[in-house]
Amino acid sequence: MTKPVFSKDLIKINDVQATINHIVERLKNDVTRVLRRQGAVVGISGGIDSSVTLALAVKAFGADKVLGVMLPEKDSSGDSKAFALKLANKFGIEVVEENISAALDGFACYQRRDEAVKRVIPSYNPDSDKMKIVIPEEFINSNLPPVFYLTVIFADGREQSERLPMAEYLQIVAASNFKQRSRMTMLYYHAEARHYAVIGTPNKHEVQQGFFVKYGDGGADVMPIGDLYKTQVYELAHALGVPREIIERTPTTDTYSAEQTQEEFFYQMPFEAMDLLWYAWENGYQPEEVASVMGKERLDIERIFRNFERKKRTTDYLRRPPIHNYN
Amino acid sequence: MKDKIRDFIAEATYTDPGIIKDDTLIFEEGIFDSMALLNLITFLESEFGVVAEDTDLQEENFGSVQRIADYLERKRALVS
Repeated sequence: MTKPVFSKDLIKINDVQATINHIVERLKNDVTRVLRRQGAVVGISGGIDSSVTLALAVKAFGADKVLGVMLPEKDSSGDSKAFALKLANKFGIEVVEENISAALDGFACYQRRDEAVKRVIPSYNPDSDKMKIVIPEEFINSNLPPVFYLTVIFADGREQSERLPMAEYLQIVAASNFKQRSRMTMLYYHAEARHYAVIGTPNKHEVQQGFFVKYGDGGADVMPIGDLYKTQVYELAHALGVPREIIERTPTTDTYSAEQTQEEFFYQMPFEAMDLLWYAWENGYQPEEVASVMGKERLDIERIFRNFERKKRTTDYLRRPPIHNYN
Repeated sequence: MKDKIRDFIAEATYTDPGIIKDDTLIFEEGIFDSMALLNLITFLESEFGVVAEDTDLQEENFGSVQRIADYLERKRALVS
């Protein structure tokens, strides 16, 4: 089959209802026949991905067979709960709240993270200041792989950013990953207690670019939106009746104490552009053709494609299941 | 110096040192990722006493074994 000419409409879904029906049928089959489970547990954050996943699960199993679990901790945005409740109310599901802060304290999650932060910025006070990890803009237009910086926002509004040495970067990430892994553990508690499956919420970019925590938010039985680009997730959200306030929210990481968008932390470009560029790279479009449609230089597209390739390869570890075939 | 840098890069990236020539563009070839770059910055500091400033983190300074060696020479000349 010949490849269509590259255009900005290439990944627009032609028939959204048909796509929803296809995913719902597949989800129903996978959970009930393949996994032999009777319903679905979905962790809901009030974000677009978990909202669409929940709406699909309700269509597949009915509201009485879907449990929504809110999993806040002390760094979570206060808005998340209100949005999650609105969503649960809209789709008529049972919802439980499990605050995982005490579990995270038990793992010394915050303590281990803050120790590393203080080694880089000694005046950081975790009781009053906020922190996040950022990638400076200079790296976006460079062939260099991104180097991460720690930003502390002090209680008086001042900000300080320092480049993270490897040991501190790794410790902050490893400690923060307790959050996603604790959430996964709690989701499986509720799933096993009801003989349900855990429905994961990552979209295609999160899966393919490795923007998830292995055995954290990457730990689930099925991922029904795992093959959808972010703009396609939004298309489904409109058709499924996800509340407008959730659709209009800027996606955040909701991981560090300071507010941080996903674009700022990981993707480094708007979703609309990233969807098209990832599609182009994945489907072997020539940089010249893509550049003219996207209004960019060929060299920029080549650099972006190289970055995609590097991201895919360096995150392969995250997507791999345990290697067990030793015979 | 170049052999030390080459051996370090090979070890940090699980690559055969034989394929890393002086002018191999380590970022364009996809040999290096963020972890490897952070590792290299730490190595240059501990092995050669050179602290990379934020503004030094550019392809001209880190793009190949040759460029890293030239960068180290320039940095050392500045302090001597």
